[in-house]
This record gives sequence, C-alpha cells and structure tokens, in this order.
Amino acid sequence: MAGATGTIMTVTTAAPAISTEGLTRFYGPHPGIVDLDLSVAPGEVFGFLGPNGAGKTTTIRLLLDFIRPTRGRARVLDLDTRADSLAIRRRVGYLPGELRLYDTLSGRELLGYFGHLRGGVDWSWVNELAERLDCDLGREVKVLSHGNRQKLGLIQAFMSRPDLLVLDEPTAGLDPLVQQTFFSLVEEARERGATAFVSSHVLPEVERLCDRVAMIAEGRMLTTERVSDLKRRALRSLEFTFAQPVPEAAFAGLPGVQELRVDGSRLRCRVMGSVDGLLKAANRYEVLNVVSQEPSLEEIFVSLYARAREEREARENDGS
Amino acid sequence: MVRSPWLKALHDQWRSLAGISVMAGLLGALYVAFYPSIGALGDLQRFIEQLPPALMALFAAQGLDLGSPEGFLNMELFSFVGPLFVMIFAASVAAAATAGEEERGTMDLLLANPIPRWRVVVEKAWSMTIGLAVISAAMLVGIAAAAWAVNVEMNLWRVAAALASTGLLGLSLGGVALLLGALTGRRMVALGGTLALAVASFFVNGLAPLVDWLESVRPFSVFYHYVGYDPLNRGLDPFHAGVLLAIALVGTVAAAVAFEHRDLVA
Repeated sequence: MAGATGTIMTVTTAAPAISTEGLTRFYGPHPGIVDLDLSVAPGEVFGFLGPNGAGKTTTIRLLLDFIRPTRGRARVLDLDTRADSLAIRRRVGYLPGELRLYDTLSGRELLGYFGHLRGGVDWSWVNELAERLDCDLGREVKVLSHGNRQKLGLIQAFMSRPDLLVLDEPTAGLDPLVQQTFFSLVEEARERGATAFVSSHVLPEVERLCDRVAMIAEGRMLTTERVSDLKRRALRSLEFTFAQPVPEAAFAGLPGVQELRVDGSRLRCRVMGSVDGLLKAANRYEVLNVVSQEPSLEEIFVSLYARAREEREARENDGS
Repeated sequence: MVRSPWLKALHDQWRSLAGISVMAGLLGALYVAFYPSIGALGDLQRFIEQLPPALMALFAAQGLDLGSPEGFLNMELFSFVGPLFVMIFAASVAAAATAGEEERGTMDLLLANPIPRWRVVVEKAWSMTIGLAVISAAMLVGIAAAAWAVNVEMNLWRVAAALASTGLLGLSLGGVALLLGALTGRRMVALGGTLALAVASFFVNGLAPLVDWLESVRPFSVFYHYVGYDPLNRGLDPFHAGVLLAIALVGTVAAAVAFEHRDLVA
C-alpha cells in the first residue's frame, strides 16, 4: 500500500518537461503571446497548434532563450530558461520552423560541427537516421532541395538523443513516406522516455502524433486538452440510408444531435459526443448503410477560433 | 574539419582571406621591386613636394622621404593601400560575425546547441585575428622577398613592426564592427558604421597637422595610433599599439555582453 502511494507520489510530483506561467512577449505594441500557461508532462508528445502568426514560434524561441519574455517565466526540464539556458540546450533537440543551414558545408560537416558543440557525434546513429530518412550527407547544403534540408534539420534535432524535442513545423516539405519515418522517430523517442513539443498548423499530423494539444490564436491560449477528449467533444457527421422513408419526429430531440435533416429514406446529422442514442433510434428501422465521418481537429479548431475571435471583439467593443 | 565557431569562420573566409593575402603580398613586393627604378629618378620626390599640402598630409604624414625604401613604403603602402586591405577584411568579417548569421537565419540553429553566446562572439573575433595576422604576414613575406630579389636593403624588423601596427588597426576596427553588429544585428549597419569611422579617422589624422582644431580630436583617430608616430622608422610604440589593442578588446567584450542581452533577430 505504502509502495503504491509512493509510486503515485512520484508520478504526480514529476516536474513538467515544459511549464510556463503567464508567459508574455510583446513586440512593441504588438502582442506576440499573452499570458501563456503551458504544462507539458515528461514523456508526452504535445502538439502546439495555431494558424501562422499565432505565436507558436515566439513561444519556442522564448523557451530556448533566443528572445526574452516581457513578463512571466518558463521552465524547461525543470530548469529556468533564462538562468540555465545552456543546461537546457544540452538536453534539447531543436528544429526551427524556418530552417536555414550553412550553405558552404556538406550534411556530414554540418552534423559534425553541431555534434562537436554537443561534445561528440554518434556517427552510427547519425548514419542510421540518414539512411532511414534517405538523406545524402555527402552533398553540400546549397545543392539540396527543401525536403532534403528539412531531413538534415531533423537529423540534427534527433542525433543527440535529446530528452526534449522541440520541433517547429517538422513535416514542412517532407514527402509522405518520409513523414511516416518521422512519425516513427518521434514514437521511438517517446518510448525511450523523451518528451516532444511539436508546433504545427497541420492538424492531421498533430492528431496522428500527439497525446495532448494546446491551441493558440493571436497569442492567446484557446484550450489545452487530450486529443481523444477533443475528438469526443467534436461534431461527428453521420449519414444513414434506410430501407424505407423515416419520420423526422422519431429522431428529433435526441441528445447531442444537431443539424438533423431527413430526406425520405436518407438521414443526415451531426452528433456531439456519444452516438448511442441516435443508433438506438435508428435501429427501429431497417438500416441499409451508415457513413460516419471521423471528426477532424480542423473543425474543432475553426469553431474554437471563431468563438475566441467573437469574444475578443465583444471585449473590445465593451472597452470602447 | 569544422568543429567550432572559429574553425567554421575560417572555413568560410579562407578563400577571400587567401585572395586578400596574395594581393597584399604582391602589392608589398611590387612597391619594393619598383623602388630602385623610382628612387633613382628623384623626380617623384620633386613632383610630390609640389602637391597641395592637404594631399601631402594625407598620404605622407610622416614627412616625405623618398630617399629611403622605408620612406617610399610609408607613403605608398602604409598610408593608404595596406590599411585599406586590412580594414576591408576586418570590417566585413566582424560585421558578419553575429549579424550575418542572424540575417541569414542560421543563428537560431547554432545557438540551439549548448554554446554560450559570448563564446560565439569571442571565437569569431579570434578567427578574425588569425586572418589579420595572415594578411600582415603575407605583406611581410612579399616585401622581404622583393627586397631580397632586387637587392634593396631594408630593416625587416621595422617593416614587421609597421605591419603589426597595420594588423592592430584592423583588429581595433574589427572590434568596433563586432560591437555594432552585436548591438544591432544588422550587417550593413556594422559595416557602414565601421568604414565611416575608418574614413573619418583617416582624414582627422591626415589633416590634423594643417587644421588647428583637428589636432585636439586626433587622439580619437585610430589612424593616429596606427601610423601617426611613424612605426616603420621608430618601431612599434607600446602606448599607441596598446590603444588599438584596447579598442579591439573592449569592442569584443562589449559585443559579447550586448549579444548576451539582446533578442536574436528572427
């Protein structure tokens, strides 16, 4: 009993891999991010979602001490981003959103350079990464395509087997096959206990990779939730085809059912949460076919974003 | 093998450094090689003595003496062309040191590695120092080789002292460029600011003997500390050399501090 309690204690007191408190950064009068509270658990793959210009890159650059907060503070791997930046960077693998590499170096030279700054390179691991990502390390960066540069960027982020991966738009420019390799690399990193913080505006990628997501827009946090919870709350589109025409009244008022449209023997609607009630109602008739569309984060995001925008505009109107 | 920022900087600049060094060496050699034929004429001396005093002051501040190869070198190489090579190299390399990487967008990636910002500044200053030493050494080799080939007697220690002063001039301007780049993150601001300072220094030092009020600001001219005391004939002066070195050191340290405390340009 005492042992079990001890285990739980350890889990609950483990410091977050990333935590921010009221993290705020203004660029002149323009807010980059405002009062951002984040907490990423160790071992988690955390998605950081938002449209371009929402403040994702600003947040990441604050975490790595490239820029300094206007107010608030952030800890990475339980270290202060300002005071212990060097110790943080020793344990973080980073892929910038706008990746710029040294044109005059070959891939191998570039990785050797960064490897030496990290105290050595495990070339067998680097070569394995290069092989899996199908990246030719012998060629100079300046002759590489965008996709091949992105692969080099990924290799340098993964090559030190970091405790935390900070990846800003990691799959930009990668073909689908390489994306699959990237997904498995993140999965393997998670399996050895690493944490990944992945910013993206590509929702399927986040759905595929992440345990939890934070959604931000215009520098403010919209929500932080488990991907599965988000999807549970999401609207699912359903389409039934019945053997005979069905009465609309039989389906009206079912919990969670919205936008109900009955057109003879065809029924379309959207359901939030469980579809159980709807299925039971449908079962009273002969069902020929059901098509259920997986709710996408895209729709969730768009609705959250629209609501946040309305609230902000309402606030601004109140103020004026 | 690129292992650290200073080796990376040398890797990037070795081609232009080799080009500048070969040109500077050849130029030094050419001046010395032509000296016997020009010196024999003596006409040049008379021609130059009739130049407007302002031009005389700028290009032969140490007093005109074409009767000796040192005097000739002083006028031809050390007044203008020699420092020009060194300044252009130092200012462009130092201006690009941090600001160039920020503008090209590679600084984020570099500093994602566990390396303190100050070390990037210091290592890049170090690679610039090596470059300046190479250029100065190339000029010395060119001058010495030509002196030997055309049988001109020169005190090569004194030439080396003067070239050391040239190198220190480059170092001091490099320190300024490093600081401007670290403060602004903009390469052209650093380069332009440094070259403007160099040009102003050149004129202040050169025209000071002719314009009374300039004499009081002359100590602020890096050119004054570089060549104002005639290092080719008098040897390296510890005070003036120290001033140039101090400017370089203060510039580098201030650049490192400024760079530590600034947001990186995205």
